[in-house]
Formats: sequence, structure tokens, C-alpha cells
Amino acid sequence: MAEPFDPALYVPQAAAALGLPLAPEDLGDVISAFAVLARVAGPVMAFPLPEELIAAAVFIPGERARG
Amino acid sequence: MSLETGVCATAAAVRTGERSAVEVVQEALTRIAVRDGAINAFTTVTEERALTAATAVDAQRAAGRDPGPLAGVPFAVKNLYDIANIATVAGSHIDLDRAPASRDAALVRHLAEHGAVLVGALNMDEYAYGFSTENSHYGATRNPHDPARVAGGSSGGSAAAVAASVVPLALGSDTNGSIRVPAALCGVFGLRPTFGRLSRAGMRLFASSLDVGGPFARSVEDLAIAYDALQGADPDDAACTMRPPEPVTQILRQGLGGIRIAVATGYFSSQGVPDAFAAVERVAAALGASHRIEVPAAGLARAAAMIVTSVEGAELHLPDLIARGPEFDPMTRARFLAGALAPGAWYSHAQRLRRWYCQELTKLFRNVDVVLAPATPYPAFPIGQGLIDLGGQQLPAAGHLGVFTQPFSFAGLPTLAAPVAQTGSLPLGVQIVAAPWREDIAFRVAAAAEELGVLVSSPPIAS
Repeated sequence: MAEPFDPALYVPQAAAALGLPLAPEDLGDVISAFAVLARVAGPVMAFPLPEELIAAAVFIPGERARG
Repeated sequence: MSLETGVCATAAAVRTGERSAVEVVQEALTRIAVRDGAINAFTTVTEERALTAATAVDAQRAAGRDPGPLAGVPFAVKNLYDIANIATVAGSHIDLDRAPASRDAALVRHLAEHGAVLVGALNMDEYAYGFSTENSHYGATRNPHDPARVAGGSSGGSAAAVAASVVPLALGSDTNGSIRVPAALCGVFGLRPTFGRLSRAGMRLFASSLDVGGPFARSVEDLAIAYDALQGADPDDAACTMRPPEPVTQILRQGLGGIRIAVATGYFSSQGVPDAFAAVERVAAALGASHRIEVPAAGLARAAAMIVTSVEGAELHLPDLIARGPEFDPMTRARFLAGALAPGAWYSHAQRLRRWYCQELTKLFRNVDVVLAPATPYPAFPIGQGLIDLGGQQLPAAGHLGVFTQPFSFAGLPTLAAPVAQTGSLPLGVQIVAAPWREDIAFRVAAAAEELGVLVSSPPIAS
């Protein structure tokens, strides 16, 4: 079974992976905001989707020269 | 005659020579000077450009040429639209450093080509990440119906400027509800067109797989004439449709014959105050719509929309989040930073879920043509209020405003937000939702309901 998720551990490490500095005064708010996202993502990730279903955004090469 | 008469009447007066465009535009500039202090909708006034453009409209008419269907109509745009020679700030301080735009955004050009005259740029949540236009850099935009309350957002300046009759027409943008929420809270009409219907070239985007531009006005006819002027394919926006324009002005009065209308139930009849649902019921009753329908997985769609938005928005601003994080508005900063850290699987799964959800809604629209739902769960709340109590549950007051708009925009559906008559002291709105590319049906239903008197944009008492 997976370890229980702790956003306070994840957020600083994920930010470091991106080279994203987090000001100490922002850290608590970012952890809270990430915890909200994680809560929102739970049921989305738990919803099974057939493998053949592709992402809603479709890339069509060469379709729009200037786009 | 004054601008209170709206887009069509103003254009008619200029086209017939009853009023000059210069006179109309000067009146709008005076209104900005007199009224904007109370609502803080404008961040820039383009006075010189406006008077030059109005003079050109009058000269065209004097020379016997057609000055366009929007001749002399003053309009303003959310400050994420490019305006030539002005830096596009999108509600931020960071982007004050940007070079001035080299040309107008496509939708600004479309309106100007039809004779309308740009008079300024309007306040918004920073980078469109919010539903309340409580902007720490430029101040909160105030609701013309009660200046102590929010205007809604993120296109709050657009809705407030139209509601206060400062201008009869404004443009906003809608990612998750940013046209529909402020339209509802300020008591005006707003259109979120089908995703890809209108060009976004020259707009600062927020979450590009969800963003659309659209108009605000005080009547269905005014909204329709503006929408028709905004249409047209554009290779400069990869998401913009190549379909030819499908104008709606001529079909507004075709009536309801054959249109199947249903009220969204379940998810869309809870999580809000009773008045919000009663407003939808009044519209349904007036239209004779007794059919109920459950929108499948609406809550899941909203959740997936939040993931897509936070990831796309954060990635877009990642260089500034890394280099200039402290300069972001405290109202958006933590959410942008958190979005940057989301695992890639969340995003991919949300976008695949979106395709499944769109397929489900395609099935739904085999049985109905229009779905009615509340635009917001409650009317405007006091500026600065962090939480709201709904049946004992404490929810983020601004964040929860999008609970009913997000499930429809996630599927890219055209949705007209309209003010419901007699909702009490504060406005409330209904969403009129149609199948993709069927703005015409949403407009016909809105026009019929307006004619029945159940949709009306009432002026604020203060104006």
C-alpha cells in the first residue's frame, strides 16, 4: 500500500525539481493550495478510462501555418 | 437619447445622423470620469484614440459610406486584450514591463471594423485566475448594484462597466466561468461562445484549452449584434474554427418552435442558495419547460477542469513564477505555484476524461436542445469575504462561484448567461446552454425569455 501523501514533504521537493523558489512566507499557502488540488485530483484519477480514449486536445500537424 | 439605450439604438442614432459618433463617445468618456470612481472598472482610458476613431466614423457617414452596424458604439475590453501601443497587463504588475502591443487583438479589430469605438481597458483578476476581480494591484472592481460587494470575475470590470451603463458593450474572456459569473452577479447578459468559435489572437491566454473571448451587453439583441461582428475564422489562433460565421441577429425572433428545453437537476440543484434555483425555475416556468435532466459526472468535470486550468496556467507563467514570484498578486500566487507542481498524470488523465465527458454530453444533447442551470450558487458577496456558509459547510466564497459554470465550459459548450427578473436586491443569472456550435438556439431561447419579461438587465439603483 502506498504511503499516505504529505503535501508538506512533496511541495518543497517538487518545487526544487522545477527550480522554482518558494518564499518561506508563501510555503504554507502553497502547501494548502496543493492539498486542495490533490483532493480534487483524487476522484479524477480514480475514474477509470478506456485506453483508447485520447486527450481532448488533438494535435493536427501542419493544419495552421501561423497558429 | 443616451447610452442607456444600448448598442443597437446607439448605432441606429449614429447611422441616421441623429447623433454624431464624437458626441456619443464624448458622453461615454464623461460617464467613465463621473461613474468609474465608484466601481473601479477601468484601468486605462483610450480617450485620444477614441475621439480619433469617432471622428473617422462621422467622416465615413458624411462621405456617404456605410459606417457599419456598430457605428459609434463605445466599447471597452478586459485588459488581457491587446490594444495597440499599450502594454497588455492581464491584471498583473509584472506585465507592465512588456512592450506595448503592436496591434489590436483580433476581436477588438472586428468590433472596430464594424464601427464600434474602443474607449478603454477593464479590470480583472490577475491573469484571469479568479472569480471575484479582487485585484491587489489595481483594487477590487465594485458591483454597481452594491459597491460594497464583488462584481464577480475574472471579467469583473467588463460586467460592471456594462451594468453601470458606462458603456453598452464590453469584451471579456471565460476559462471556467469568467464571463458568466460576473454577468450574473452584475445583472447583464454575457456570452461564452463554443470553444474555438471566436479568435483569441492578441489575447493573453490563461488555460489555452479552455479559454474563449465573448461579449457583455444589456439586452439579447445587443449581445447578438456584437457576437455577429466578432465571428470569423483566424489562422492566427490554432483553436479558431474554420467554419464560416453563423450570424444570429436575424434569427432571434424565430420563437421556441421545436426547441426542447430541460432544467439541469441533481448537481445543479444543490450547493447554492434557494434563490439561485428559484430564479432558474421562474425562467423554466415562463418558457413552459418542465423537463428535468441530469448532467452526467458534472462534479467530476469540474474537478478535471480545475486540474487542467491550474497546470496550463502555471506552465504559461512558469518563467515569471521562477524569476519574479513575489510580484504575483497574493490572491493568485499560491494557486499558480501549486499548479506548477502537479504530476503530469493528473493533467493527461483530466484531458482524457474530458473527451469521455464530451461524448456523454453529446448523448445528452440528442434528447434536449437547451439546458437551463443557475449561473452562480449565490449573489455577490461583500468584498474581502473569504468563506461562505452553505448549509453549515464553509466554502471559499470566490472559488465556489464557478461550481455551475465549470462543467459546461469543460465540454466547450456555448452558454449564454442572462439576468433573471425580480431576484431581489442583488442580481442572479441563469445559464442557457446549447450543443456545440448552436449559439443560435441559446440566443433564440434568451430572446423568447426576454420578451416574456423573465430575463431583464435592471439598472442599478445608484445609476
